[in-house]
Amino acid sequence: MTSTPPFGERARSWWHRPETRGVLLIWAVLTIVLVLFCWVPAHLMGPPASPTMHAIESTVTVFTAAACPVAAMVWAIALYSLLKWRHRGVDQPSEDGPAIRGNGVVTSTWLLVSSALCVFLLIWGLAEIGAVSAPAASADPLVVDVTGQQWVWTFSYPQDGNIESADLYLPVNRPVVFHVTSTDVIHSFWVVQMGIKIDANPGATTTTSVVPDKIGVFDVRCAELCGLLHADMETTANVVSPAAFRSWVVANGGHV
Amino acid sequence: MAIRGTVIGLASAVGGGAVVVALTGLVLHHQGPNESALSATVQGTEQTRQGALPHASLNLASYPDSMAGEHGTSGGAHPGWVSYGPSANLHVPAHSFVTITITQYDTGGTITNPYFAKAVGTVGGTITVNGKTETQIDPDSVGHTFTIHAAPMTNQDPLFVSVPLPAVADDAPNAPGSDYPAPNVVIFSFITGGPGKYVWNCEYPCGDGYYAKFGGPMATRGYMSGTFTVG
Amino acid sequence: MSDVAVQEEALAHPSGGGVMRRLNIGTALAGGAVLGYVAWALAHHFLQTDQPVTSDQVTVITMAGWTVGFLAGIGAFTGPVRWLLGKDQTHEDEMFLAGKDQGIWRYFRFTTDHKVVGIQYLVVTMVLLGAGGILAMLIRADLVTPNSGFLGPQTYNAVVGMHGLLMIVATIVMVTGPFGNFIVPIMIGARDMAFPRLNALSLWLLVAAIPVLLSTSLLGGIPTGWSGYAPLSDQGPPGMDAFLVGVIIFAISSAIAGANITTTILTMRARGMTWNRTPIFVWGVMASVGLAIPAFPMFMSAMVLLGVDRSLTGQFYVATGGGSGWLYQNLFWLMGHPEVYVIVIPAIAALLELTPVFARKPLFNYNAAVMAIAGIVGLSLLVWAHHMYASGWAPDLNGPFMLTTELISIPTGVLFLVVLGTIWRGRVWTTLPMMATYAMLWNFIIGGVTGIYLSDVPADYALHGSMFVTAHFHYTLMGAGLTGAIGALAYWFPKMTGRMLNARAGFVSFWFVQIGFNVTFLGMFAVGFAGQPRRVSHYDNLFAVGNLVSTMGAYIIGVGMLILLYAVVSSWRSGVIAPANPWGGKTLEWTVPNPVPLENFEVLPVIIADPYGYGEGDPSSLHTREQREAVVGVGAGSSEHDAHGSEGESS
Repeated sequence: MTSTPPFGERARSWWHRPETRGVLLIWAVLTIVLVLFCWVPAHLMGPPASPTMHAIESTVTVFTAAACPVAAMVWAIALYSLLKWRHRGVDQPSEDGPAIRGNGVVTSTWLLVSSALCVFLLIWGLAEIGAVSAPAASADPLVVDVTGQQWVWTFSYPQDGNIESADLYLPVNRPVVFHVTSTDVIHSFWVVQMGIKIDANPGATTTTSVVPDKIGVFDVRCAELCGLLHADMETTANVVSPAAFRSWVVANGGHV
Repeated sequence: MAIRGTVIGLASAVGGGAVVVALTGLVLHHQGPNESALSATVQGTEQTRQGALPHASLNLASYPDSMAGEHGTSGGAHPGWVSYGPSANLHVPAHSFVTITITQYDTGGTITNPYFAKAVGTVGGTITVNGKTETQIDPDSVGHTFTIHAAPMTNQDPLFVSVPLPAVADDAPNAPGSDYPAPNVVIFSFITGGPGKYVWNCEYPCGDGYYAKFGGPMATRGYMSGTFTVG
Repeated sequence: MSDVAVQEEALAHPSGGGVMRRLNIGTALAGGAVLGYVAWALAHHFLQTDQPVTSDQVTVITMAGWTVGFLAGIGAFTGPVRWLLGKDQTHEDEMFLAGKDQGIWRYFRFTTDHKVVGIQYLVVTMVLLGAGGILAMLIRADLVTPNSGFLGPQTYNAVVGMHGLLMIVATIVMVTGPFGNFIVPIMIGARDMAFPRLNALSLWLLVAAIPVLLSTSLLGGIPTGWSGYAPLSDQGPPGMDAFLVGVIIFAISSAIAGANITTTILTMRARGMTWNRTPIFVWGVMASVGLAIPAFPMFMSAMVLLGVDRSLTGQFYVATGGGSGWLYQNLFWLMGHPEVYVIVIPAIAALLELTPVFARKPLFNYNAAVMAIAGIVGLSLLVWAHHMYASGWAPDLNGPFMLTTELISIPTGVLFLVVLGTIWRGRVWTTLPMMATYAMLWNFIIGGVTGIYLSDVPADYALHGSMFVTAHFHYTLMGAGLTGAIGALAYWFPKMTGRMLNARAGFVSFWFVQIGFNVTFLGMFAVGFAGQPRRVSHYDNLFAVGNLVSTMGAYIIGVGMLILLYAVVSSWRSGVIAPANPWGGKTLEWTVPNPVPLENFEVLPVIIADPYGYGEGDPSSLHTREQREAVVGVGAGSSEHDAHGSEGESS
């Protein structure tokens, strides 16, 4: 009666199997090739204009990098099996394959790894939610009331004499809290390069917050289909120096 | 023989599919709004801070129904809908001083967003209402607005102009010899930048019977919304 | 007239048997048109006609009239009417209804034979995919340049909305309809479904809904996209009323089909087919309809409330009247999330069913596959508000929904394990069905990973409402769902039509579709990352290259699908005659002859093992007792030798 060989011996014989080597080789090559592109998504998202967007772009890059070995493993196994065990010919194979109905070690390892990945994603995500919610809790944020209306955004500054504008002006490096609502249907207030988005609902006010940390002109778009001119519901977010912001407020009839 | 059959079959499938797509596209394309545009007439120049610019003029009107304008004398598909006329597709030259005159015949009420009761983006920030210069009108008596705003394009100059148009009184009688009461006339000017495609729509909810009064004519090209092409 | 012609005349126009035997799709269309017109005329006459709310009421009443008239014309009510009149259907009537001796005409009538209904569903699916596909080509034509003006914003929004709904309906029925109906009863060893008349009813309800949905284009279109968000849907033209009536009809059709399939699988499995011996495709179909049964009524409720808002000035979704758009969103997504698993699970279950056949190996870890499907079903009911992270409805719930959503990656990963484990060390027979499995492995990884990005709350703030979302769900619903359905079609085509699907045309179509698909939607991920919103008829120059690439890819898909259409039609008409079991499969449908007899089996089989005994060479691992007895003789071996599952009666 033969007993199962000790674990070390089984592990070594597993390592020496041609299939193991083959899959691991393809897996390594694919992972490297894929990882070479893991910076692309963040690059497409453009230079971040806030710490929030910076966190989002890091997330996207890290998730892409983490996905590379996972995808590579699935594709490596699929590719290897196709290369090694492909039945040549159009007719049914004359012989069946081996009657393998399961493998406890493989299944457990797979479950363990996918659960670990899931836990990683969750912890990362929860930490990130905390980070991007921070500006809302700051001591003296600038408050901007955002009104979405078919099909134009308007902004008003309650702290500065209720001045109104169709373009958003913000001072750099100061936390800003947006109170967003709509006069008609649901719109979605999206400051693209700052990575914030919140729906504008009729009859309710929703809130989002961010710290713009770059001077420049950025895009405000509507991200919820709101009817005929949804595609035209765009304006600019102009982040300027605090002095320039004060002059803009005064020039529009407000007080700082 | 079999190859020929296959080729014919494949060609019919792919070709037939292409024909069906093309026909459907043609039908849907023509379901779209009227394409013809009203062009501004250019006459003389106007002195501005940027020097002498050509002076382009447009005349529009806003009506309480669709009997005037581009929908024909029967009023088209929705004779009761408020509309702008003579066309909702407007064309003005680039780098010009544009003056638009709007003759407003319709009644109105209180505007939901008081921002649009102000003149924005016009020369001097003012409009001329029945001869008087104003920076805004009474937000409780708005008939329509004429608001030009951006289509999403990085390589065109931004353009945002919004003027309010005062309402005619609800009980005003029709003017002699006309189907409509005596109008309010609003004249305003602005300077265009480089070539670009923009849109305009009314921001006073006047689509009666629709949710938020923004459906119907408000949400249909050719009535309370149209194109504004510069260049 | 020759004898054949006389016989065909008789089949087309049977005499005797009263009204019921003369009803067909022609009378259905006539009935629908007549009652629809009557309903319209009455509504138009008695209701005040100068307010928009009246055209909403008239539209709903007209559509209801059309539907009832259509169903009456096809003969859906003959059963209840005959019962009320005391003239219950005779056995002959029921055989007529099952399509006996009617030739090709049985496909144009209210036929109860599940095989006929399956073929009818296949044709309806192809029609829906075709209509949705035409609209997709037009969407991409409009988006080929940043501001083409080809369709104009109103028409574009309506086209996008219709494309979405037609494709959603098509993908929901594309596996469960044709193969759930034709194959599953045979696969479980039954003669038909539990409720044959309801089976025909669910199909003809779907057919009735199609003109209702297409009529939106004549009624001003829909401004909202297929998701119909309120209060924009409150605002739209009468096309929105046609839309909501169409959805309600479809929801009723699905509910009936769901009840039928569930009852059939629960109660009509052959003797000896315990849950352990039930093919994985049956598990998948049952899980899918089990999910649809609680989910689709949510959509129906959302639409009913919308109808009340529009036609009866209810204020369910209107804030000034005390309502809320968030109510709509919750109802919609309570349907919307389970619905995507209703779409994907049968497609993947079909691939799980066919992969063992083309790898000549047992399904790897059958129990894990079943538990993974169950896990996905359970979790999918708990994740809906990940579509609402940016809605502002309940920001404190964003974290918990992120948790439940990311958990779904675990059972989904197990499904990948099962597929890979089945292929590993097999004899990989690269037919079109097997290629579909490989394509799914590629596409579903990309679709699943991009779902992870969206499940992360802050990343979703950047990506929600952008073309990234569109690319993600096309990768899952089309890359895994439609690909799986095409694999299922190629696999079961010989059984359903008696002919082999043209393999070369199938391969060419496969490569066109898969390459075109990846080009289209990888380009779309790029513009989504770059910030292009979804459902826009024109866009910033920044996105020009990505959109051009997507348009070119889309036309390649179009060509590929037309090649597939050619392959299906020409093979159906004149393809190579198929043997009863061309693939050497072990499930019950491969044991019945081509064409499948009306009552499927002469003698109902007795099941002794699951259908995955590849490579086991042991007579006790054959699927049916008849097969074992053919090898070892009658009476040899008692039931203690039954392998792979508990012995005895099915539950």
